[in-house]
Amino acid sequence: MNAAVWATAGALFALGLAAVVLRRQMLAMLLGVELMVAAADLALVHGACRFSDPEALAAVAVILAVAAAEAVVGLSLILKVLRSGRGLDAGDLTELRG
Amino acid sequence: MTLWAVVIAGAAAVVFAAAMLWSRSLYNGAVCLLVVLLQTALIYVLRGAPLLGLLQVMIYAGAVMVLTVITIMASGGASAAERFADFALPRGLAALGVAAVAAEIALTLAGAPPRAAAVAAPGLTAAFGGDLFHSYALATEAVTLLMFLAALAVLPDKEPS
Repeated sequence: MNAAVWATAGALFALGLAAVVLRRQMLAMLLGVELMVAAADLALVHGACRFSDPEALAAVAVILAVAAAEAVVGLSLILKVLRSGRGLDAGDLTELRG
Repeated sequence: MTLWAVVIAGAAAVVFAAAMLWSRSLYNGAVCLLVVLLQTALIYVLRGAPLLGLLQVMIYAGAVMVLTVITIMASGGASAAERFADFALPRGLAALGVAAVAAEIALTLAGAPPRAAAVAAPGLTAAFGGDLFHSYALATEAVTLLMFLAALAVLPDKEPS
């Protein structure tokens, strides 16, 4: 079970990272970030249960809440960008480039 | 048996995550991510952290995915009919997800009563609650405040007069 869960967490994190790096749509990038957070949570939960560490479980609960807040802020930012008529493509946002 | 349920849940999660990466449709990507989150929640339960599995389902699969789908709906330039036609998940992928869930349920029920996995580490959930509301009480309060502030982010701006 140990190897299966670590492999799953690693693969999920790699796929989330690939989604953030390879996709151009902001919503797809946000989904990739959520996938990476889920992979990190999975690794933490597995480690916590394996070593009977309640502090790691508490950390996962805090991470879940922070990730939910991050998703809400990210989605509202995306909606704000859409309302300004600049589309969903991250490459179109050039205002902060020097 | 529980081991095989975890293996199947992990494999299904990885397959759906790969499908999310290669899917051109944002709807399909969101549905694939939802399946991944549900499968990881099942792994939490099987590993002995049922409370976190429940939180994962409530927070991610419930609130965050609903917000994501609403954002996708609000962002689409196409007509509603075109956007909902885009929603159809590939049949092979959907069949794979259903088969994985059926296999996980069968393996979990055949191996041991579901409660046996939940009490794999006796006292862990109680200690987790104690840590959350004693050692990490300040962090818990800070996160609560953060979620409240995040909720303010969805409020519409006041139109300039």
